[in-house]
Amino acid sequence: MALEKHESRPVAEKGEHIIARHLIEDENIKEEKNLVIDGVDVSGRWNTFIISRVDSEFDRSFFEEIKKTVAGSRINRCWQCGMCTASCTVTPLYRRFNPRAFIYMMQLGNLKELKKYIDVAWRCVGCYKCSQRCPKQVNPAEMMEALALVIKKYFPEEVETKLKLDEEVKKIYEDMIIGHGRLDLAKLHTSAMQKSGRTKELLGKIERGAILKMAKDGRAFSILKLGKPHNWGSSRKAIENYLHKLNTIENGEAGV
Amino acid sequence: MSENILVIGGGPAGLNAAVMLSELGVNVALVERDSFLGGNPKKFKYKFLFPDMQPADNVIGELIKKAESGGNIKVYYSSEVSDFKENGKKFDAVIKSASGSETKTFDSVIVATGFEHFDPARDAKYSYQLFDDVIDIKDLERMMGENNFVRPSNGKPPKKVAFILCVGSRDRHVGNQYCSRVCCTVSVKQAIEMREHFPDCEAYIFYMDIRTYGFFEDLYWKAMEEHDVQIVKGRIAEITSGPDNTVVCKGEDTLLRGPFEIPFDMVVLASGMEGGPQSPEISSKLGIELDEHGFLKPENVTLSPFKSNKPGVFLAGACTGPKAISDSITEGAAAAMNAYTYAVKNR
Ligand SMILES: Cc1cc2nc3c(=O)[nH]c(=O)nc-3n(C[C@H](O)[C@H](O)[C@H](O)COP(=O)(O)OP(=O)(O)OC[C@H]3O[C@@H](n4cnc5c(N)ncnc54)[C@H](O)[C@@H]3O)c2cc1C
Ligand code: SF4
Ligand code: SF4
Ligand code: SF4
Repeated sequence: MALEKHESRPVAEKGEHIIARHLIEDENIKEEKNLVIDGVDVSGRWNTFIISRVDSEFDRSFFEEIKKTVAGSRINRCWQCGMCTASCTVTPLYRRFNPRAFIYMMQLGNLKELKKYIDVAWRCVGCYKCSQRCPKQVNPAEMMEALALVIKKYFPEEVETKLKLDEEVKKIYEDMIIGHGRLDLAKLHTSAMQKSGRTKELLGKIERGAILKMAKDGRAFSILKLGKPHNWGSSRKAIENYLHKLNTIENGEAGV
Repeated sequence: MSENILVIGGGPAGLNAAVMLSELGVNVALVERDSFLGGNPKKFKYKFLFPDMQPADNVIGELIKKAESGGNIKVYYSSEVSDFKENGKKFDAVIKSASGSETKTFDSVIVATGFEHFDPARDAKYSYQLFDDVIDIKDLERMMGENNFVRPSNGKPPKKVAFILCVGSRDRHVGNQYCSRVCCTVSVKQAIEMREHFPDCEAYIFYMDIRTYGFFEDLYWKAMEEHDVQIVKGRIAEITSGPDNTVVCKGEDTLLRGPFEIPFDMVVLASGMEGGPQSPEISSKLGIELDEHGFLKPENVTLSPFKSNKPGVFLAGACTGPKAISDSITEGAAAAMNAYTYAVKNR
C-alpha cells in the first residue's frame, strides 16, 4: 500500500463535517489533511477517525500510592457523596474545582481526566469547611494537598509552565511598582495575557468592550495622565532595600 | 399458678409481646414511661403507615385496645422500673409510678424501650430550629396526622418542598455510622402523601442512596412514576435563608458535577433513629449489654436477635436497632415466646 501525503489541496478544519462536533475533544479526532492511499486521494474528511472514548482501565497502583501518603491516607473512605464540593469555598467561583470529583479521579487512577484540571486543581484555600462536614471524615482538605503533590509529580512540565508564568507576571508587577510607584492595571493585564499566550484574546470582544468602557468613564485617561508619586526615589530605595534583605534571609534559610 | 412477666415499654413491640402473653394466660406488668400507650407512632401521631398506607389506627390503635381491655395485663402509665435485682433465676423489680412504688417478682423480662428520633438541631448545618420552614419527618408525620400541613412560617401551603435524606445517620460527625433503615421509605411515603393533597406542590428528594429495601421499593417507584417526585443525587451542606421567605439548600449535584443553591418553601429532614438515653439507662439498670451504636445488644444478632446477654431478659423492637413496625411486632411475638418458655422452665 502506498501512502503519500501531498500538501497541494486546501482542506476544511479538522473534523468539521462531524455531526455534533462540539461533543468530541480535539485530541480524540485523528485526521490527515492530505493523504493518498494507493493513488486514491482520501484527504481530510475521507480519513477521519474518532478515537474511542471508552475507559478501558482502572489504575489501582495510583490509589495505593496516594494511600501511602499522610495527606491522602483516607482516600479509601470516600463514597462520593459530594458534601465537600457542596460546602467548598472555591467551587462557586471555579465550577471546575470539584474536590469530590478529584478524589474520585484519584481513586480510579484516572490521570487523563485529572490532567484537564491542572489549572484549577491547586485552588484550594485550605478553609477546611469540607473536612468539617465530610460524613466519612476523609479530610478532603488534605486530600487536595495530596492532589497538588500528585499533579506536580505526574505533570511537572505543565506545572512548570504554570509556575513560570506566575514568576514572570510577578516580575512585571514588581518592576511596575518599583519603577513607577504605581500599579498600571491595564498594562499588568495585557502583559500577563501576552505572557500566557493569549494575545489573540486581547483583541477579542470582551477586551475591546472593557477598553471602550474605560475610555468612556475616564479611567483610561487618568491612567495615561498618572505620573510618579511625589518624592518616589526615597520610597523606591526603601522597597528595594527591603526586598534585598528578604532575599538574603530566604537564601540563608534555604542554605544557598 | 400462672407466670409473671415484666414488659418494659408500650410501643408496637412491647404491646404485641404483652398481648400475646396475656392470651397465654400470663400475668403481664406493662411499664410505660409516657402517660399513653403506642410508642413513637402514637406520640408523633403517624397517620398512614408504610408500606401499604393503612391507617396507623388499624395497627397501633388495635394493639392499644387489646392491651387496655383488661385481660391479664396490668398497665403502669407514667412509670419506670426504679430498681432491678436478680433473685435466683427470677427477678425482683420495683415499679415506680405516680401512685407509689410496688415491688414484684417476675419469672422473666422483656425490654421494648424503643428508639428516639435524632434531634436535627445537633447537626448545625441544617439550620433546624433556626428557620421555621425547616422541619423533619417526625414533625411532618405529626402535621399530617393533625391535618395541618402548611408552612410553619406563614400558614400557607408550600409550592416547592425538599426532602434531605440521611440526617443524623451515616455520618461520623454526628456519631451515627449506621443507616436508620426507615427514613428513605418514610420520605417517599410522605412525598406521595404531599403530592396527593397538594398536586401543585413540587417534591424533590436529595439522596446519597435510596434504601427502600425489599418491597418498600414499590413506594419509591410509585413516588416517581405516579407522582413525579424528582430525585437529586447529592448531600446538602448548608441551609440558609433566601429571598421571599424561602430556605436555600446549598449542595452538589454529583451527577452533573456542579454546585447548586436552590430556594424551597419548606425543607424536610429525614432524621434517623437513635438508641436514645433510655438504652444506656436500661443497660446499666438491668445489667445487659449496649452495642457500639448506642442500642441494646442481642446475644447473637443472627441466631437470637431477641435475647439479651442475660438469661431471662429478652429484647424486642427498635431498642436493638432501627426497624419498621412489622419487624418490631414480629420481635415482640418472638420475645414473648422466649420469655414464656424461660418462665415455664424455671417455675
Ligand atoms: C418518622 C418515622 C415514621 C415511621 N413510619 C413508619 C411506618 O409508616 N411504618 C412502619 O412500619 N414503621 C414506621 N416507622 C418505624 C416505627 O416507628 C418503629 O418501628 C416502631 O415505633 C418501633 O416500635 P418499638 O415498640 O420498638 O419502639 P417505640 O415506638 O419507640 O416505643 C417504645 C416505648 O417504650 C417506652 N419507653 C422507653 N424507655 C422506657 C423506660 N425506660 N421505661 C418505660 N417505658 C419506656 C417509650 O415511651 C415508648 O412508648 C417510622 C419511624 C419514624 C422515625
Ligand atoms: S464529603 Fe467526604 S465522603 Fe463525601 S465526597 Fe467529599 S471526601 Fe468523599
Ligand atoms: S479546604 Fe479547600 S477543598 Fe475544602 S472547602 Fe476549603 S477550599 Fe474547598
Ligand atoms: S434509610 Fe435512607 S435516609 Fe435513612 S439512613 Fe438509610 S439511606 Fe439514609
